[in-house]
Amino acid sequence: MKFAFFPGCVSRGGAPELYQSTIAVAEKIGIELEEIEGWSCTGAGALQESNPLLGDTLNARNFALAQRMGLPIMTICSTCQGVMAQAKVKLEDDAYRAEINEILATEGLEYNGGIEVKHMLWVMVEDIGLEKLRTLAVKSLDGIFLAPFYGCYIVRPSAALEYDEHPQRREALELVIEALGATPVDNDGKTRCCGFPILTINEKNSLAMVAKHTGEAQDLGADAMVTPCPLCHLNLDGFQSKAAKQMGKQINVPILHLPQVIGAALGMDGPTLGLNKHIISTFDIAMKMGVRI
Amino acid sequence: MYSHDVLVLGAGLAGMRAALEAAKSGANVAMLSKVYPVRSHSNAAQGGINAALTDRGDDWADHAYDTVKGSDFLGDQDAIEVMCSEAGQELINLEHMGVIFNRDDEGRLGTRAFGGQRRARTFFVADITGQAILHVMFEQILKYNVRVYDEWYATNLIMDGRRCGGIVAMEMRTGDIQAIQAKATILATGGLGRVFEPSTNALICSGDGMALAYRAGAPLMDMEMVQYHPTTLKGSGVLLTEGARGEGAYLINNKGERFMEKYAPNMMELASRDVVSRAETLEINEGNDIDGCVLLDCRHLGTAKIMERLSYIHEVSLDLVGVDITKDPVPIRPGVHYQMGGIKTDIDGRCWDPSGAWKGVEGLFAAGETACVSVHGGNRLGANSLLDTVIFGRRSAIGAMDYASQNRHLDFSENDWVNGEKTKLQELLNNNPSGDLVAKLRMDMAVAMDKGLGVYRTEDGMQEALQAVQGMRERFKKVVVQDKGKVFNTNLIFALELGCMLDCAEAIAIGGIERKESRGAHSRTDYDTRDDENWMKHILLRKGDGGEVIKDYLPIVVTQWQPEERKY
Amino acid sequence: MQAKVNVRRFNPDEEAPKPYNQEYQVEVEENFTVLDTLIKVREEIDGSLALRCSCRASICGSCAIRVNGHAVLACKTRVSEHLSEDDQVSIEPAGNLPVIKDLVVDLNPFWDKIRAVEPYMQPSLPEPEAEYLAPNDVMLHLVDVMGCIMCGACVSDCTVLEVDKNFLGPAALAKAYRFVADTRDVEDDKRLRMYNAYGGMWDCTRCGECVTACPKGVAPMERIMAMREKAIEAHTPTGPYDGAAYGYRHSLVFEDLVSHSGRLNETILLVKTVGIFNLPKLIAMIPIAMNAAFRRKVPPLFHPTIPGVGQVRRIAARINASKREAAK
Repeated sequence: MKFAFFPGCVSRGGAPELYQSTIAVAEKIGIELEEIEGWSCTGAGALQESNPLLGDTLNARNFALAQRMGLPIMTICSTCQGVMAQAKVKLEDDAYRAEINEILATEGLEYNGGIEVKHMLWVMVEDIGLEKLRTLAVKSLDGIFLAPFYGCYIVRPSAALEYDEHPQRREALELVIEALGATPVDNDGKTRCCGFPILTINEKNSLAMVAKHTGEAQDLGADAMVTPCPLCHLNLDGFQSKAAKQMGKQINVPILHLPQVIGAALGMDGPTLGLNKHIISTFDIAMKMGVRI
Repeated sequence: MYSHDVLVLGAGLAGMRAALEAAKSGANVAMLSKVYPVRSHSNAAQGGINAALTDRGDDWADHAYDTVKGSDFLGDQDAIEVMCSEAGQELINLEHMGVIFNRDDEGRLGTRAFGGQRRARTFFVADITGQAILHVMFEQILKYNVRVYDEWYATNLIMDGRRCGGIVAMEMRTGDIQAIQAKATILATGGLGRVFEPSTNALICSGDGMALAYRAGAPLMDMEMVQYHPTTLKGSGVLLTEGARGEGAYLINNKGERFMEKYAPNMMELASRDVVSRAETLEINEGNDIDGCVLLDCRHLGTAKIMERLSYIHEVSLDLVGVDITKDPVPIRPGVHYQMGGIKTDIDGRCWDPSGAWKGVEGLFAAGETACVSVHGGNRLGANSLLDTVIFGRRSAIGAMDYASQNRHLDFSENDWVNGEKTKLQELLNNNPSGDLVAKLRMDMAVAMDKGLGVYRTEDGMQEALQAVQGMRERFKKVVVQDKGKVFNTNLIFALELGCMLDCAEAIAIGGIERKESRGAHSRTDYDTRDDENWMKHILLRKGDGGEVIKDYLPIVVTQWQPEERKY
Repeated sequence: MQAKVNVRRFNPDEEAPKPYNQEYQVEVEENFTVLDTLIKVREEIDGSLALRCSCRASICGSCAIRVNGHAVLACKTRVSEHLSEDDQVSIEPAGNLPVIKDLVVDLNPFWDKIRAVEPYMQPSLPEPEAEYLAPNDVMLHLVDVMGCIMCGACVSDCTVLEVDKNFLGPAALAKAYRFVADTRDVEDDKRLRMYNAYGGMWDCTRCGECVTACPKGVAPMERIMAMREKAIEAHTPTGPYDGAAYGYRHSLVFEDLVSHSGRLNETILLVKTVGIFNLPKLIAMIPIAMNAAFRRKVPPLFHPTIPGVGQVRRIAARINASKREAAK
């Protein structure tokens, strides 16, 4: 199983623990990752606000590079996944793709349509399979309560994300959590917004969202939250204390990246998974999961 | 006590147009509606609005003739002339308000063909013209800050002898009953489709205004003229616009034949609605149907055109019967759609005749589907209803303001009227639980009406329906309202609406029995031809002081066009 | 099939009313919509169930409710597609608005926000004799936005409204766009300034709930983004709301960074967005920055160039050049 690996800007910037745990887990499970050379930012929806054509072209370039490698793309960020899925749909239009290919041609690149872009979360469910995941989980996460938090871009719009063709995607996080032996904690906020896009615009609202969702998870008895999006992670983890203060509530919920949870079940240690790089301490959850710090 | 110069009951296209006209003139005006204005059923009109624009080389007299012929010569030609001659200016008014009409290559207003008209003069917005105009009208209401009593249900007109002085209504949000004083009251409450089943109409179309006026002593005219729209969806009866046929869609039977060839070889699918509905009914009766329906075939129009101009019917066909009209023909059949009859008014919306030629209620006005001027006579042309609402909405406002400026408020006891209504409502709520449930009684009525007053009618059939309805009016006195609450008691509202529907149903049946000829939408197999010698007249039904139904006639106003044979 | 319809009810006539759940067992056909189901409950089982509905054909906008936690138009939603394994479906009133009774919510806050965007045509004057000229493609483009039936499904599920009731919300902002995009309305500058204020277009968090909830394809979020693009292009002054200023800068800086280096550097983005001379804001960020630095996760101010960065730069240059050409 080999993928053209698309790490995304944040896993190479503000969330290095995501990158390192992904590499470690992929190796252990037997997913071969070949990083796309020269990949660029997808635009994250923000670029698409001011220059949609540039956004589509840069993504077409990423797709073209992957096609040259002859491999499907694997992402580890909900936002990258969503933006790429939407770009893919737009680029299925022959006339539009031809227009963009004219620009790419000047750089010796061409995108032929039909690229497959899958988030690691879906790879776990659809390519590895839940059964295999169960057998790979040497450490029992039994008794661990994890609240899933998807990240808007991996949930909406569901058509671009091919939810009809792959209905399990609707609850992929819960399925993976269960396969690893832990108990998913259903929460109202799981498909809602973490507030990251308005962090600089309206910090008050952004933090209100963080407090709402982390507070809810805590009230429901979650030991930690799990998210497949490093942007959500930045907000929910990095700004949790400030959010809690704004709300006037005591909140202390560790936020885990998806590969960190998988890695824990595979028996990996804290340093490998980058658990020491979180703002909200992961000490307690690491202890509960039996992860060597 | 709330008090206004002009009070408009109903906030659909006619109501809002009236209120807007009054507001712009600075009058003390308010609207009262049982639903938020944009929920009004005007939003379901799909195809378009007619107007003859002189700068296109069109002539309003042509439009008038098409309308007169379409009405099967029952329409009053002076009223039709007024409507058609003012249409051009009113259309431009609507565009100036911001309606996003379809445009031609030069950026000017574009047209489509429509039923019963020899020339394309239907201006449209995809197949959501009603919604598009209604929402723009609402924008204007917001602009002029018109007062709206949102979600208030009018239970009675305040009357003294032959003068109306306002209404009594229930504020649904609190259940409180209030009297609202008005020098002039305009009824614009729309149609009564729910009297029948199936119907294209929304659940709110229960003939409330017609019943209120009728009970107050105003005459209802031409009630037997109920339009069956040819293309209503199988099952729910939801409307599929005539605009589809305007764009070139076919009607086919189970043999795949375009059967309109047999009935209207010139206009084919675009003959007037009563002609097409009768054709479909005959085909269905002869066994050329598929499960009680025929088919509307849009496939050959192509996906691009369908998605640009008929996207709404594409949506509802998919949602409600699972048919993609770009790929398959969709099952349809005739369904009740529009009431050509209604509260008799003159061309300025007055529900009484100042010269005394007919008896009505002073201070009361009506416009839109609820009124019968009559511009539609025995059959309404498609895209003339949207026109009717704005022309007569505007005119009735002018009439109302004129009346208000020359008359004082009616003197009445607020307490008496409010308490009277409270007592009646409490009696209804106190009914023994052994009575009928509201929905069951409504369905019984609707099925009986569809049976006895359908596309083809007979004396026996109509008498049977009348008897049934009269029996149901008795049963209604004991109808059960399960919800005894005050706040937002929709159960009680439904019961009151049913009362209105039953009054209207009775009038429709009486009118149908009375008219011993076939004209327009009223087709009798026992009197199967048009009888101009005896029946060039309207039938008026009015409640006498003892509650009895008084029948009267009014000659049709003929200005230019003598009745002739009606062929398409 | 027998469906178990669980409705969240509320009876304001009670002494101390509180929301409660009531389950109805009702026989439904395969093609029943959620509305058909609720009407059946109301007509045959419990006449006190209050909900708004009228046309049954997704044009009046009365019946927006939440089915299994997400806003839909009841008359457009097939009930069989939303039944759980044991044939259960949960029905709640639309979100983000006060409940009057059962599934009937108070829409006054909704109408207030529509009013707030000056939702009426403001064309050039004097009015012409005939119609204003307008290209058909502009009118056609507006059909989707004008297709809004004011049902409130978008408002129900908006994640910003959940935490801040001052946000104008998707329906009002989509309506605002309708005028900005109509060539006959000439108050674009005034409007964009208005919508740049707090609670306007910059407060949308781009979560996509409104696009999913809308039964008519209005896609409010896309319209808000289109207005943002217009405002930036037109250099509309951002006014007193610093959120708008940050929004503009965020967009422009993002494009700048990605065009130049192919990657996003969060540190530079953050600093440049709030403004390098914005000392109060920068100082407020120090605690978090220090925390992050301590864990070695602050992206460096200068990071290595990516392979192929030349391609990215040239592509960006080419696209921006043709944009400038087109604007002339």
